[in-house]
Amino acid sequence: MSESSVSALQSGRPPRQPVVHQENQLVEGFSSPPVNFLQELPSYRSVARRRTTILPRDKQSGTLLKPADSYGSHLEGGITKNLSSQSIRKYALNISEKRRLRDIQETQMKYLSEWDQWKQYSSKSWKRFLEKAREMTTHLELWRQDIRSIEGKFGTGIQSYFSFLRFLVLLNLVIFLIIFMLVLLPILLTKYKITNSTFVLIPFKDMDIQCTIYPISSSGLIYFYSYIIDLLSGTGFLEETSLFYGHYTIHGIKFQNFTYDLPLAYLISTIAYLALSLLWIVKRSVEGFKINLIRSEEHFQSYCNKIFAGWDFCITNRSMADLKHSSLRYELRADLEEERIRQKIAERTSEETIRIYSLRLFLNCIVLAVLAACFYAIYIATIFSQEHMKKEIDKMVFGENLLILYLPSIVITLANFITPIIFAKIIHYEDYSPGFEIRLTILRCVFMRLATICVLVFTLGSKITSCDNDTLCELCGYNQKLYPCWETQVGQEMYKLMIFDFIMILAVTIFVDFPRKLLVTHCSSWKLIQCWGQQEFAIPDNVLGIVYGQTICWIGAFFSPLLPAIATLKFIIIFYVKELSLLYTCRPSPRQFRASNSNFFFLLVLLIGLCLAIIPLTISMSRIPSSKACGPFTSFNTTWDVVPRTVSTFPSSLQSLVHGITSEAFAVPFFMIICLVMFYFIALAGAHKRVVVQLREQLSLESRDKRYLIQKLTEAQKDVRSH
Amino acid sequence: MGQCLRYQMHWEDLEEYQALTFLTRNEILCIHDTFLKLCPAGKYYKEATLTMDQVSSLPALRVNPFRDRICKVFSHDDVFSFEDVLSMASVFSEQACPSLKIEYAFRIYDFNENGFIDEEDLQRIVLRLLNSNDVSEDMLMDLAHHVLSESDLDNDNMLSFSEFEHAMFKSPDFMNSFRIHFWGC
Repeated sequence: MSESSVSALQSGRPPRQPVVHQENQLVEGFSSPPVNFLQELPSYRSVARRRTTILPRDKQSGTLLKPADSYGSHLEGGITKNLSSQSIRKYALNISEKRRLRDIQETQMKYLSEWDQWKQYSSKSWKRFLEKAREMTTHLELWRQDIRSIEGKFGTGIQSYFSFLRFLVLLNLVIFLIIFMLVLLPILLTKYKITNSTFVLIPFKDMDIQCTIYPISSSGLIYFYSYIIDLLSGTGFLEETSLFYGHYTIHGIKFQNFTYDLPLAYLISTIAYLALSLLWIVKRSVEGFKINLIRSEEHFQSYCNKIFAGWDFCITNRSMADLKHSSLRYELRADLEEERIRQKIAERTSEETIRIYSLRLFLNCIVLAVLAACFYAIYIATIFSQEHMKKEIDKMVFGENLLILYLPSIVITLANFITPIIFAKIIHYEDYSPGFEIRLTILRCVFMRLATICVLVFTLGSKITSCDNDTLCELCGYNQKLYPCWETQVGQEMYKLMIFDFIMILAVTIFVDFPRKLLVTHCSSWKLIQCWGQQEFAIPDNVLGIVYGQTICWIGAFFSPLLPAIATLKFIIIFYVKELSLLYTCRPSPRQFRASNSNFFFLLVLLIGLCLAIIPLTISMSRIPSSKACGPFTSFNTTWDVVPRTVSTFPSSLQSLVHGITSEAFAVPFFMIICLVMFYFIALAGAHKRVVVQLREQLSLESRDKRYLIQKLTEAQKDVRSH
Repeated sequence: MGQCLRYQMHWEDLEEYQALTFLTRNEILCIHDTFLKLCPAGKYYKEATLTMDQVSSLPALRVNPFRDRICKVFSHDDVFSFEDVLSMASVFSEQACPSLKIEYAFRIYDFNENGFIDEEDLQRIVLRLLNSNDVSEDMLMDLAHHVLSESDLDNDNMLSFSEFEHAMFKSPDFMNSFRIHFWGC
């Protein structure tokens, strides 16, 4: 980067503890070439003036601003420019100077017209009101003190995990409120006779009477453990409660003035909570996405970011500070190493490239085979569990019963435990750069985790709709014999998954983390224990765990309306358990996640989970006929049929509008217009990029000219002085 | 470490400080309390001063590798008055705006105080961040060159304030990391 014209201005290789400044090397009184000149340039001074309107305190050497102009004129020039723009706090001055500035501003204000004065005053009071409101809402923030102390002790990477958990608690609470407002509240009002309303039940059509048989399982002798089994699996006494879809066999609620359409409300609540989740996640991730988009474009800012924003200024703990230093050392070394590897990759010969790509293809096929094997195992386990669940429950032993009920959950958990290990081994042979390796492994694990739920749901769906020449099945559209109320049964599966997931998290923390910590502290003489060491708080695994739980909640909330409330409680308990586990059993890992990376990664994974949850829901709502024996949609073919029926009750003008919007005559031109708009923005972005490149080149040329001129000026001054 | 005369802060002063800084009421009162505990005995809080060592050894700054620069930038004549401490807390508070933080970050990182962040400053920053004795010269030069190649737009081997501002506006971690919670408020 150094050119011959600049070499005179280079300070040379700076010593490690730079003691000798350039100024001291020269003769007294003579200004040192580059920096002092640069400080006199008009561009430098105007930028400095923009930052501070009042001169900072004098320093002996290296003043930021040279005292050239008088104090007063400086001030007024700044004031008239900035009167309406910034508030006083944003000036980089100390408090006494800000006070003077404010007094001057107030005297200036007297010269304004009445209208301007009133405008200023109202905008100021509005801002003050907003601030007070913001201050109040920060007091209401849940777990603020806990998260702050975690941040101080463990850094911002782990703190972002706990903020994410808090976000999920709030999301689930809001989802439950939506469902409560739209579905549960009218039912409760009617049931407990708070308002004068009645339920509306439409009698079944004759030909469907066979489809409405819904035998409630009740056995003569009830063993004690059957209550526990019912609690854990949602069968028995829980099946008819408001926990599951089957309880809501109501077609409307008749209030005094109008009839509340409960099926429509049920459908709208589902769509509303999915849309709300999507919007909230996208809003939260917009910033991180924008920055990551810029980042990936140019391998950009990784060094600037890590060096200027690398130190967490809020660390107060000595051991955490040492850890941060070592993680920075690790990270910067890893980055330089990655740079070297990337260069090595770029210098590969074509033979090596072919060899590497064929190896990668082969290994990816192995990965797909592993995934297929796991999915098949889950499929078999689900079918086995469903078939054997129908057998006589009291004939089985307690443990065997529970095993069969929870077989899909167990297989899923085992698969999710084994596959990351396999993936980590495989990726070594694929010869990627270290950063990419980590990202690809995490992506594969994410996909594995979330796809297992989908496989489970699709297996259930295939069982529900598979008819083996059964006339009853063909009449009703679904397998009525095995699944008289199939939505409730899907809800039960989701409920079981959630309970099992919760139990596993608690069990792993209590039975693995704490004993491990005890072993390490008390039996530290054993070599094996030393090697194994304390638990590390692995962020990706923990995040995948809670995203998995949230995906189950999203899918299950349609089939089991109280599931979001259970999820809220579950996440609250998990917060405290994880916090205790972090504080008492974990040591921080040397590989630290950056907060910005983490936030984007968490929300991306959550978005993938949401998309994977929407697919089974849309298929079950629009394709699979709703069960005729239970639920609010017994008088409809599929769940979605509520919407056309509601539209047909609108006034005719609105009806024709709706029909127009959903017809092809509207959709095709709309799609074409959107494509055109997208192409326009892409072209605009391309043009901006070109302009940026040109401006950068121009800037560096101008700077070269400037340095050349300064050098000439310096030489000319030297000549003048020596004569 | 004695106690200053325990004057309650006047309500007007509190309002004024709230208007002039980014701190909330609780934070200002918290800082006031702790300032009183640290300052020498028998002085009104508006006239008392703290030395740079006292401020450097606050729990919030004790382990910060840049604490000497922070103290240098925010102090006047090598001492901290109450208002200097408030300014410092205001810049590092959560509510402060990015332009203010970037301004002071530039002053803190400019070790030789010549108005630019040059290679020498960058190498010092890296040394402070790594805090180790076996950092090779090559690594320091490498890192400094990488930073300059990313953000030095006019190719003069230094970062002017505009270039630094431009780089920090795009940096995703800057706002999160340039925060200090003073005195557990």
